[in-house]
Amino acid sequence: MSPKTADVILETHRLSRHFGGLRAVDQVSFQVRQGEILGLIGPNGAGKTTVFNLISGFLKPTAGTIHFQGRPIHGLRPNAIARLGIGRTFQIVKPFSDLTVRENVLAGLGHDLYPTLRALREHYLRPDAVRRADRILEVVGLSEYADVRAGTLPIGLLRRLEIARALALEPVLLLLDESAAGLTHHEVEALGALVRGLRDQGITILLVEHNMRFAMGLCDRIIVLNQGRILAEGPPEAIQRNPKVIEAYLGHSGRVAHR
Amino acid sequence: MGYLVSVMTFASIWAVLALSLNILTGYAGQVSLGHAAFFGIGAYTSALLAVKAGWSFWPAFVAAVLVTGICGALLGLPSLRVRHDFLVLATMGVNFVVVAVFKYVDFFGGALGIVGLQKPQIFGWTLRGWGFLALAVAYLLLTLWVSDYVRRTWAGLAFATVREDEDAAEAMGVSVPRFKIYAFAISAALAGGAGSLYAHFLGSIFPDHFAFVESIGIMSMVVFGGLGTLRGPVVGAFVLKILPEYLRVVGDYRYTLYGGVLVLMMLFQPQGILGDNSWLWKRLQALYARWRPGPQPRPTSRALSAANPGDDPAPASRSGRVNPGERTHESENS
Amino acid sequence: MTLWNILLDTLTQGSIYFLIAVGLTMVYGILKILHIAHAAVYTVGAGVGLAVFRLTGNFWAALAAAMVVSGAVGVLIYRGVYFYMLDQPRIVPLITSVGLFLLMQDLLQKPYLMGPYQHAFPAQDVFPSLTLPWGTVPSAQVMILVFTALTLGVLYGVFTRTRLGLAWQAAAMDRDMAGAVGVNLNRAIALNFLLGSALAGAAGVLVGVFYNSVYATMGDVPSYKAFVVIVLGGMGSVSGTVAASFLLALAETVLLSSVGYVLPRDAIAFLVLILVLMFRPQGLLGR
Ligand SMILES: Nc1ncnc2c1ncn2[C@@H]1O[C@H](COP(=O)(O)OP(=O)(O)OP(=O)(O)O)[C@@H](O)[C@H]1O
Ligand SMILES: [Mg+2]
Repeated sequence: MSPKTADVILETHRLSRHFGGLRAVDQVSFQVRQGEILGLIGPNGAGKTTVFNLISGFLKPTAGTIHFQGRPIHGLRPNAIARLGIGRTFQIVKPFSDLTVRENVLAGLGHDLYPTLRALREHYLRPDAVRRADRILEVVGLSEYADVRAGTLPIGLLRRLEIARALALEPVLLLLDESAAGLTHHEVEALGALVRGLRDQGITILLVEHNMRFAMGLCDRIIVLNQGRILAEGPPEAIQRNPKVIEAYLGHSGRVAHR
Repeated sequence: MGYLVSVMTFASIWAVLALSLNILTGYAGQVSLGHAAFFGIGAYTSALLAVKAGWSFWPAFVAAVLVTGICGALLGLPSLRVRHDFLVLATMGVNFVVVAVFKYVDFFGGALGIVGLQKPQIFGWTLRGWGFLALAVAYLLLTLWVSDYVRRTWAGLAFATVREDEDAAEAMGVSVPRFKIYAFAISAALAGGAGSLYAHFLGSIFPDHFAFVESIGIMSMVVFGGLGTLRGPVVGAFVLKILPEYLRVVGDYRYTLYGGVLVLMMLFQPQGILGDNSWLWKRLQALYARWRPGPQPRPTSRALSAANPGDDPAPASRSGRVNPGERTHESENS
Repeated sequence: MTLWNILLDTLTQGSIYFLIAVGLTMVYGILKILHIAHAAVYTVGAGVGLAVFRLTGNFWAALAAAMVVSGAVGVLIYRGVYFYMLDQPRIVPLITSVGLFLLMQDLLQKPYLMGPYQHAFPAQDVFPSLTLPWGTVPSAQVMILVFTALTLGVLYGVFTRTRLGLAWQAAAMDRDMAGAVGVNLNRAIALNFLLGSALAGAAGVLVGVFYNSVYATMGDVPSYKAFVVIVLGGMGSVSGTVAASFLLALAETVLLSSVGYVLPRDAIAFLVLILVLMFRPQGLLGR
């Protein structure tokens, strides 16, 4: 690896995904650096979730490449990418409703056993696994719900459960898709603290956000996506002042950058 | 007495079938209406080895389990491409094709079936009557143990994630195809053993013993007792297998009963009479708690989310509104 | 087999598939339910038709009675059962439907209904046979072809020219939306079942006359065949169903006349179904 790319953990190169005639993601190239919090913002339908789905393997690129820690991952199945250490949350939460909150997290802790035959032999309710699950629940603040069926949780807690499950993969890179959506002001602040804490533990974070104030305050760097293309890239202050960005937001949904 | 013993033997064999389908449908959420095909593959494997190759029961039984498990893995391949109601269609198709092969390919004995199978022997004793019942019950206990063991393993947890949400399962590092195939293989292998027992108990088998209606019967036993639990399929099989034998009215209307059970359970108690949230099971638990006060056992809910959505034990909404979208825009698993 | 025979067989068999499958397709299009019990409705139609024919000796009365009773049974199934499951996962109504099918067919086999026997339906000479330059069309086949043509015409008219047809199309696209813009969903769906089931009843009578045989399990094979047809036809598209019906009939006829008898016709159809489900899940004729 060349010195310049030494700290690049994820890199997309001219990444594209078309749905019929729609270019949901169009020749997007960007890098995620080790240890940063990178924000991906843009109006509705800009292609943010599609970028996440491409990185995590739920969609195959129409063209372009994705490299994670120097190796190509486009073409891998989602479970393989997850086991490489890319955790993700879903914008539309997908809890294992019938399992308890703890079991939801345990499901992620099994990630390195699933491809082996040990998965068929070993019980999952082992004290060490349960301890690790409970520690993760503590980090995201779900301890008191450990034995509750996930399907009964309100949306705010489900978003935290999404993060908890992704953390169970022991990820190197964490993809958060609008984790702050629908949260109260108070919860948003707690989320910000959580994300910073995770970064301090060495986890790199790529997050999609609609809440501008939150994204601006949290991210080291921001990429603005519009109609599948990168519109701007830079530190939050520069993005906020960028006339192209302001216009894209005003033109599309009438939302001003400062909300 | 002999009649009772024979009825109990059949009931035990069907309880194994119900439990094995439960692993596939209750644990892993893959609804199959072709389970009788695996039952038949086990029976035919065992019978052919006994009649054509002169094998005795025990090795034939083991071979039936193995062969059916492998067939299960292969016939489970459609589940990697199709889901939900289309998977049901595909499994029905598998059932028809398998029965057609038994019926129209001479090697399998054709419509005349295979006759002249010996009962198993152990230390020179021939197992018949009580002896065979003991064998069937032992196999049922083994199946119960396997069902319980699998459920507690990481694979059991992976099955549950596949059942609940395939995308989220993948995001947790679970290879959905791998675990679907596991579920099909385990489920089929257990059913294959039941087929072997059945063949050697009856002494002769015919293609129609494994027809689509039998698949419906097995499903109705699981659904009646309670999908996803261990007690449910066993109780379902015993009730629905024994009732027609002793009540003549019911005997004449055996398939009406199976069909009616499916309709009524789906309408009023989709989690089955002994499912975790069912009326009867809650009453029983309340009774038990009153007799023996102490900490409530945590419900280990494993009901099929597809048949038991959410928390709501109410029969069904009467709003007449529907939610047709079953895939989110994010799912595109190829 | 001459070309003429192949053509005639294909047309007849395809018409039969179409008449049975079109009701299923309509139900699937609007409710996304795989309505297996439809095959029992078809048998009910045949049975009622035969009973009325024996009483009156009039084919037309038999056909009308079959359509009325089958239509009513269809609506009953919707209002009594499926109606309560519309917002459940699609597996729930499917399992229910399988149960209903088994239940109805078991009851039909009872001695006080149809019993376990085949009954003759001697109404073959209602239509004249038709002599064309290429060959003769026997009267029973004339009957089926005429009825199919009529049905196609009527369906085309209903779907394109009436408010009801529009309502069905809207509901098929997005039921919630259709309800929101003022389509009376319950009425539209009930009428959908009425028409689809009435057609199945008519098909029961026609097939009964064609084979001169009516029996309680006559719905077995057609029901599964009908699924092959609707899957091939792209799930819920009526025009796809028309094409798929004749395509399946053609494939079967050609295969049977050239390759001969390897597996029964029905096993072939099911192998095709499994393969199509796996490799072209949107149907052979879907987009
Ligand atoms: N599976 C799919 N099939 C067809 N079109 C899709 C699919 N997924 C996304 N799209 C389209 O691609 C475009 C980008 O969608 P995407 O979900 O990536 O946007 P987004 O930036 O995440 O928007 P939001 O802020 O609303 O979450 C949209 O026009 C969407 O309709
Ligand atoms: Mg999005």
